[in-house]
Amino acid sequence: MTGVISGSGQWAYVAAAYGLTMLLTGAVLWSSWRAMVNAERRSDALRKDRK
Amino acid sequence: MHAYANPTRFLAIARPLTPWLLGVGLLLVLAGAWAGLTQVPGDYKQGETARILYVHVPAAWLGMGGWTSLALAGLIQLVWRHPLSGIAARAIAVPGMLFTALCLATGSIWGKPTWGTWWEWDGRMTSMLVLLFLYAGFIALTNGDASGGGGQRQGGSLSRGAAIYALVGAINIPIINRSVVWWNSLHQGPSITLRGSSIDNALLWPLGLTLLGFSLLFGAIVVMRMRRIIADNRVGARLRRLADDEGN
Repeated sequence: MTGVISGSGQWAYVAAAYGLTMLLTGAVLWSSWRAMVNAERRSDALRKDRK
Repeated sequence: MHAYANPTRFLAIARPLTPWLLGVGLLLVLAGAWAGLTQVPGDYKQGETARILYVHVPAAWLGMGGWTSLALAGLIQLVWRHPLSGIAARAIAVPGMLFTALCLATGSIWGKPTWGTWWEWDGRMTSMLVLLFLYAGFIALTNGDASGGGGQRQGGSLSRGAAIYALVGAINIPIINRSVVWWNSLHQGPSITLRGSSIDNALLWPLGLTLLGFSLLFGAIVVMRMRRIIADNRVGARLRRLADDEGN
């Protein structure tokens, strides 16, 4: 059939798309989590100091 | 809605919600990716590359949905001046930009084997690139310091200019949505509409898992970033009070 995409090289494109998505989503999740935990720790420490 | 536009009430809900959004979102994304990579057949024309659909479509949906939510938050900020709406808009910007960038990148990776090119200046891709620049502009505008500089006001809410920018930018959303109908190009027409889907059910079902999973992860990122902004605001307010006490 003409116009059909075939060959084992297709998996490299699939792997690149999934790898990039997981890597960047994971990085933003991790940085958001770390920033939230650190900010809430600072806020709690300051509140305890005031008591 | 007014009752929950209060940081303390919001935190009472957000704290237990965060691990659920993260946990269920991760599970659904992993299940959808596993199904999309191993449990469905390749497309009869596009072969294995059609599997990119399961990450590309959620990224597009969240890039556009993110700006729609951001514009709504801007509108609520302008009309009711809810302190949480500005915080929500700022928290949405980074994950919105992330998923817009992922949509462009995965679309480009899909385009090379399918169209023979990484990029085409057609209506869909160009309007999506404009959305990426809109997010970058909003982040730059709202990254002023907490003393009220730039597009940010004290307490983390938005300035009037940033809220109007969010609303004006929303004009791009229907343009992205209708671009494949208005302009004939390499990008395919709409596959999923309110009337149904042109994708066979044998290929469609993992998309439901990744769509819901990435949406929950988007929600988790927004909630975590809102919690961070609220905590930073509280630290800033306490430090200002301490400085005032020492000054008196």
